[in-house]
Amino acid sequence: MSKILTLLALGIFLAAGAMGQTGALKLDVKEKTLSNGMRILVVENHSAPVFSTIIKFNTGSVDERPGITGISHLLEHMLFKGSKIFGTADFEAEVPIMRKIDSLAALLHAEQVKLNSPLYQADSARYKAIKEEMAALQSEQKKYVIKDELWSTYLQNGGTTLNASTGNDGTQYFVSLPKNRLELWAFMEADRLDNLVLREFYSERDVVMEERRLRTENEPWGIVYEALGATMFWASPYAWPVIGWMSDLEMVMREEVEEYFKSHYAPSNAVAAIVGDVDAEEVFRVCEKYFGKIPAQPTPPPVRTRDAAQKGERRVEIEFDANPIGIVAWRTPEVGHPDLPALSVAANVLSSGRTSRFYKNIREKKLGNVSASVDNSSRLPSAFYCSITPYGEHSFQDLEEAVYAEIEKLKTEPLSEWELQKVRNQIDASFTRSLESNLGIAFRISGSEVVTGDWSHFIKLQEQIKMVTADDVMRVVSKYLTKSNRTVVYIVKTKSEAAPSAALPSY
Amino acid sequence: MKKIFYLMAIMALLATTALAQTAALKSPGSRIIEGFKYEQFELNLPEVGVEVDRVELKNGMILYLYEDHRLPIVNVYGLIRCGSIFDPPEKNGLSGLVGTVMRTGGSQTISGDSLSILMEYIGGTLETWVRSEEGGAQLNVLSKDLEMGLKLFADLLRNPAFPQEKLDLAKVDIKNSIKRRNDQPGAITERYFSRTIYGDHPFGRILEWASVKTITPDDMRDYHRRFFAPNNMMIAVSGDFKKADIIKKFEKYFGDWKKSEFPIPPYPPVEFGYKPGVYLVKKDINQANIRIGQLGVKRGNPDKYAIDLLNYILGGGSFTSRLTSRVRSDEGLAYSTGSSFSTNSRDYGTFYAYCQTKSSTAYKATKIIAEEIEKIRNEGVTEQELKEARDAVINRFVFTFDNPAKIVQSLMNLEFDGYPADYFKTYLDNYRKVNLEQMKMVAQKYLQSDSLTYLVVGKPEAFEKTLDEFGAVTIIELTDPVLE
Repeated sequence: MSKILTLLALGIFLAAGAMGQTGALKLDVKEKTLSNGMRILVVENHSAPVFSTIIKFNTGSVDERPGITGISHLLEHMLFKGSKIFGTADFEAEVPIMRKIDSLAALLHAEQVKLNSPLYQADSARYKAIKEEMAALQSEQKKYVIKDELWSTYLQNGGTTLNASTGNDGTQYFVSLPKNRLELWAFMEADRLDNLVLREFYSERDVVMEERRLRTENEPWGIVYEALGATMFWASPYAWPVIGWMSDLEMVMREEVEEYFKSHYAPSNAVAAIVGDVDAEEVFRVCEKYFGKIPAQPTPPPVRTRDAAQKGERRVEIEFDANPIGIVAWRTPEVGHPDLPALSVAANVLSSGRTSRFYKNIREKKLGNVSASVDNSSRLPSAFYCSITPYGEHSFQDLEEAVYAEIEKLKTEPLSEWELQKVRNQIDASFTRSLESNLGIAFRISGSEVVTGDWSHFIKLQEQIKMVTADDVMRVVSKYLTKSNRTVVYIVKTKSEAAPSAALPSY
Repeated sequence: MKKIFYLMAIMALLATTALAQTAALKSPGSRIIEGFKYEQFELNLPEVGVEVDRVELKNGMILYLYEDHRLPIVNVYGLIRCGSIFDPPEKNGLSGLVGTVMRTGGSQTISGDSLSILMEYIGGTLETWVRSEEGGAQLNVLSKDLEMGLKLFADLLRNPAFPQEKLDLAKVDIKNSIKRRNDQPGAITERYFSRTIYGDHPFGRILEWASVKTITPDDMRDYHRRFFAPNNMMIAVSGDFKKADIIKKFEKYFGDWKKSEFPIPPYPPVEFGYKPGVYLVKKDINQANIRIGQLGVKRGNPDKYAIDLLNYILGGGSFTSRLTSRVRSDEGLAYSTGSSFSTNSRDYGTFYAYCQTKSSTAYKATKIIAEEIEKIRNEGVTEQELKEARDAVINRFVFTFDNPAKIVQSLMNLEFDGYPADYFKTYLDNYRKVNLEQMKMVAQKYLQSDSLTYLVVGKPEAFEKTLDEFGAVTIIELTDPVLE
């Protein structure tokens, strides 16, 4: 009891007496909705003079369509390029130059279409001339540009963990700062949302294409995941990769990104989470002052498109210069569905830790390494994944059979009470541990709030997982992890010519 | 060909002008935030004897303790003086195996499997590892489980069993990773960069199945006897415990452990024997992975502070660095580019700059990075750049101590690595003192642009131009590793 009082006095976490035998802690989240609909979540943690922030938009690759795939992520990059008052010495002077660059880009794309088509005669001299003219204008604009000023401002002010990321469902911008920089943060963030300028767009588009080569085209797991989405989903926007198809990246225009920004970055589509050495009332006041002045606008509509039920196994083989790896995935329902807690237990029991079934029955038998996970917080129906790395002479197919054998067991034999209790204990312990990280808390509450409209959804899901019974697991595994509902994607090593022995430097 | 050179010259010129102007440019936004007032707060520098206690047991084991009762968890983190740097070449891989099998194999009183059952059931973690210059062990449990956790932790460190079956399993894991080592361009780049810089020194070694397969449980037991001893070990504890109580527990579980009589062997020294030049590792991919560098400095070098700031400005300061500004932002040549200059390595660490770019711009990106290294060496940095770098280092210092584990481990690491106990007291001042002259001096002293190694993984046939102007070219063919 004295411990609870101490916690209260410190104003950090509110201990809730009746939350399980480990004396589980409860997050004390304070909420406010600004007049324009933007939601603010605050958790006070005064253990160190720092705070972490996330601004998350309910905008991700699911909001795209063929032709503009990758635009959410490209936009995320553009939010670091400045505004009317940052990143520039003279915004007005940049405007006519950017207009000219845009019109040249349109001409360039017209030539690109011809280059890509067997129906037209491409004029490569013209293509080159336009490119050179564009480069000259880009240099002209550089006279006014102050490079990456948002980054340098944050870093000079002690910012760490500065970055952003884009997923299927959302886009998030995060930074951690010393406690006296709250107002600076609100000012910088509100400014880029209110006064964004998409400068240096075409070179940034090249950067994203390099990112695609780095993470997807030359990275075996990147290749596999991209093919998996495209195979498992026919209609759903999870079919295309977050980074976008290369041919879309080559052609996407600055105006399209600007339009996408305007329609999707509505204040009512955003949640800010601030966790750390701050005063909640002060945070609300500062947020109202800076974010509150961004005009309200309609929230973008939810995604309509869903896949029909899968009818039959889908298999894809990819040739690449790497040893075999692959994934088996089964389609599962979206966030909030009552079957997700039991599927989460199944994933945990299969592959979490050295007592898990895959570890005991596959890795310790030296067949390979398999990990299982289920996407239990996605906006649209997603999947249960098993990613597979065969060892030694074992083929991917050998491992597939071993995985299916474990899954069949889950359908017919109830989990032991020990396994269920292990999952419950791990949830409590890892939740307690997660409270140590300001940024970690900010991720969880903003993520839950954006996708479900309830910051505490992830805690409710944890409580539901703790209630799952052995029968629940047998039922959901039988329902979803079936042959006709699965997709299999794997890499087959391309044969490289026999190379002479390595010329290793030695001295 | 001429044209490319000409264009390059123009671009180099433009970039210089742009940079020169940037220093003078000011955004309207920056003028606004200049008016922001920041309420000053005291940065509480944790100190041994104040927030953190340092206790030495009779057998030489050193404990660093930091109580924090906000959450009901305890973290125990130990460091042991050992490492793969001491592995004889014919037993390369021994240290890594010791680190893995110590945990999976369990102790003489409790099997690794039983240990997993216990720890996973309570949602705790207990892990051990050995890296190139140190071993480590970590226990993280809810405070109600501390007694049991600490008992298991001590038992594992003192009496590991190293059973054959868990050794065999760990070997299979390594064999698989050797088999797959040519699958990912980034890993290939790292491996061959170390190889070209460090040669036959342990830091340059490539792990082969031939040595791994010969390692026996007896090798591991020998290793354990030589290195795992209380006087070679420091342990940091943070979280929900009482100091007096945990000292008693450590005495109970570790107190009767005898000191080691084996001295730590001499560290094999790094020698400046590498041959600068271009090393091309051929792989059929559409992006070149480029790393350009050389040997750097050792820990304790008095120029550390200037070097850190120099690297921040060149390529360590993420988006504000010169490399990101030119290679990524201006030219759109890479997603990830920058530089690293290690100033905390016991022996000579490395300096390197890097990027990944499509095959058809491999030469151009290499050229730009080389130019930027040459330029910072010849011209030094600007006052504005120095100020920004210094402000960043100073203002983010508060994050060094932003959670209990970091507080206690930062202080313990100082002693483990041989830094003075008051290191953090002068730390910020040492950065504040660096001036432009010193920046220029360190750039010239430590960036030797004529002795750089250019390591590039990719498809040279697809590069727009050969890389031979940067030095003699050595081709490295990737071969399938021998797994017999």
